[in-house]
Amino acid sequence: MRILAALALPLLLSAQHDVSAGASKNPAIQDPVAIAAGAKLYATSCGGCHGPDGIGGRGPNLVRQLQSHQLKDDELFAAIRYGVPGTDMPPTRLSDAETWQLTAYIRALTGPASDSKVPGDAAAGERLYWSAKAACADCHAILGKGSRMGPDLSNIGGSRPLTYIRQALTPPKNDPSRNFALMGKEGVTVTMKNGVVLTGIARNRSNYSLQLVDKQGDLHLINMADVKALTVKDHSIMPEDYGTRFTAGEMRDLLAYLATQTIRPSETGAK
Amino acid sequence: MRIILLALLTVTALAAQVRDEDILKGAGENWTTYAGNFEGWRYSPLTQINLQNVANMVPKWTYHVPESNGLRTSPIVYNGVLYITNSNSVHAMDARTGRLIWRYDDGLAKRKGVNRGAAIYGDAVYFTTTDNYLVALDRRNGALLFNKKFADAETGTISTSAPLIVKNKVLVGSAGGDTGMRGFIAALDPKTGNEIWRTWTVPGKGEPGSETWSDLHEWGGAATWLSGTYDPASNTLFWTTGNPWPDYAGKPREGIDLYSCSVIALDLETGKLKWYFQFTPHDLHDWDAQSWPVLLEIPWNGAMRKVVAHANRNGFFYILDRETGKFLKATKLIDNITWASGIDDNGKPVIIPGKEPTVEGNWVCPGVKGGTNWMGQSYNPGTGLLYILTQEECGMFTLSTQKPVPMKNFAGGAATEPGGPVLIRAVDPKTGKRVWEYPVGNYSRMWTGTVSTATGVLFSGDDDGHMIALDAKTGRHLWHYNVGDTLTASPIIYSVDGKEYVAIAAGTNVFSFGLFEPAQPMALPAITMEK
Repeated sequence: MRILAALALPLLLSAQHDVSAGASKNPAIQDPVAIAAGAKLYATSCGGCHGPDGIGGRGPNLVRQLQSHQLKDDELFAAIRYGVPGTDMPPTRLSDAETWQLTAYIRALTGPASDSKVPGDAAAGERLYWSAKAACADCHAILGKGSRMGPDLSNIGGSRPLTYIRQALTPPKNDPSRNFALMGKEGVTVTMKNGVVLTGIARNRSNYSLQLVDKQGDLHLINMADVKALTVKDHSIMPEDYGTRFTAGEMRDLLAYLATQTIRPSETGAK
Repeated sequence: MRIILLALLTVTALAAQVRDEDILKGAGENWTTYAGNFEGWRYSPLTQINLQNVANMVPKWTYHVPESNGLRTSPIVYNGVLYITNSNSVHAMDARTGRLIWRYDDGLAKRKGVNRGAAIYGDAVYFTTTDNYLVALDRRNGALLFNKKFADAETGTISTSAPLIVKNKVLVGSAGGDTGMRGFIAALDPKTGNEIWRTWTVPGKGEPGSETWSDLHEWGGAATWLSGTYDPASNTLFWTTGNPWPDYAGKPREGIDLYSCSVIALDLETGKLKWYFQFTPHDLHDWDAQSWPVLLEIPWNGAMRKVVAHANRNGFFYILDRETGKFLKATKLIDNITWASGIDDNGKPVIIPGKEPTVEGNWVCPGVKGGTNWMGQSYNPGTGLLYILTQEECGMFTLSTQKPVPMKNFAGGAATEPGGPVLIRAVDPKTGKRVWEYPVGNYSRMWTGTVSTATGVLFSGDDDGHMIALDAKTGRHLWHYNVGDTLTASPIIYSVDGKEYVAIAAGTNVFSFGLFEPAQPMALPAITMEK
């Protein structure tokens, strides 16, 4: 399953919008052929450290990077060619053309999903998203509709790479970083010293205080001195069976829908 | 008692929506609007911190704002949550601990710039992006409810001010007046962001007031880059306007350039202009009429009179009639004023000739930062005094002979800011006279206003990066604390669980101060990791 997913990725990423192409000087960027070639180069030159699909390993996770810190194309090119001094990232011996193919692949892998034209039916994905079968809205909201407990998805396409979203839906098994989508949003159950029991998702937690959103979407600001016991889930409370719950077609549709969720739809080219 | 309080806080209080009446009653436990109340007082009725114990005030927490620089935000607080803004972002934190609850970032915004704060209404927190989107976020988790563009950044307009929310209207202003744009105030629907009305501060071609301009007036500026005030009794908004553009070159805009450098009174329902008063006709020194107009009721010729008090960048302090805009009085806010010998009986400056910007340069007082600026004034009903940060800085004003081109960082000239004495001045609005003053530096780098309490403690900052507390009646020093950064925003006051806090965005951090309490050693709760 995981291998299949990795192989499918270049295809998923191959049809790119020209939304951010204006900023790119090299023709390889967002070129489907170059991206596919870059994917092959990635598997042999990069995947050993950065993991399949860029999920990380000995080297940093590439898809979890915040978009605001994303390297520019020429910076990415330079990092691939010359390595990163002071780290284990070595220089490469690829030609200019190959390095640009690799840059194009990394850019497609790590750029926001709303920049990708995902091969699925977004309208069907929308129906699935709001259906009882997917039950996404039980935890997540889009533009104020849905539950407030889980992370808001109004900008999921505008802020996260497609790979990131796909891996959140179907986490790679037995991967130490499989819960990367958690991002500190742990499921917690709090037993207060006064007997009150609260269940929800921690928005933030330290030894001394806990900021919690419960299933009703209400916010609780808790002083740890008032807490008797705390249970913290070591994994996301997001269901892990979407890979079997959905057909491959349904998964593509859902991804296509989520990829269009952006706070700037008119400017990003998403629906 | 502690447990009961906590149970109330965690279960009930956080569920309550912010209603009109919550904002109307002004600051208290909460601080729900930019200036604390609709009248623009920046006053807190809280009494825990007083003249005696303020000496024991210590920082309770610090929150570092990532990617910030010279924060301009004035926090708002509601039910134990404190909200601040940075460029295109909002951060919500536990007001007792400074721990982040949620953060919203619009990484796709097309402009980056300063932001002066958020507003709260119903279950939503509102702010504007630099490129003029009104953004509504769920106050509990920061989830996006809607974002809607109310102006095009390609027309020179950007957004920097905190929205003001009154009776189902989100009022937003406009910035960018130093490079050419057309100012406005707009009322937007809090549910959708749709426009209810828009009032331009530079009249359109052929409209009344357009005859006060010559060329280029569609780029005339008169931006509205600071939140206004509101009078519930007459349902009137009061908003100040910025400089005409090009700032230093008067030739392309011969006339008095309405409604630049003015205060305008607008009907809340329609946005219709009720009256205006122009402080600096045909301004040539970039003396925007920021700060906000403070609404007071004071004894005047033997009767109580509703007035607007305003400390102006041009160096004078004004009292106007609130119902009609009629000029009542002006006094010198600062000592060094060289461009006008005074204000005449009609409220017009008596100009001293030869003080306009020239190609060679002309030394004028006050300088471009003005006698005061957007840090504004606060009012304490107990002392009856206004507290105004004033600057005795002069500057060299030069004129450019280039042809004005909008949106190209062209201001028609330039002005120097060499520094000069900065003083907090207490002004009696009944007489316009200064009652006391306290020196806060000589660099003129800071942008910190004042806030005061019912116990007569005044909080502000100084040019050296100190938060300070003074006796509001006398100006006597009570307390200071070095925040380690230049102060560029004003403090606010709130309370949670019966404890009073004074918070300020200081450069790149938010500090919250309160009375010293010894730490209570605590046993960490038992934590079970669930597989």
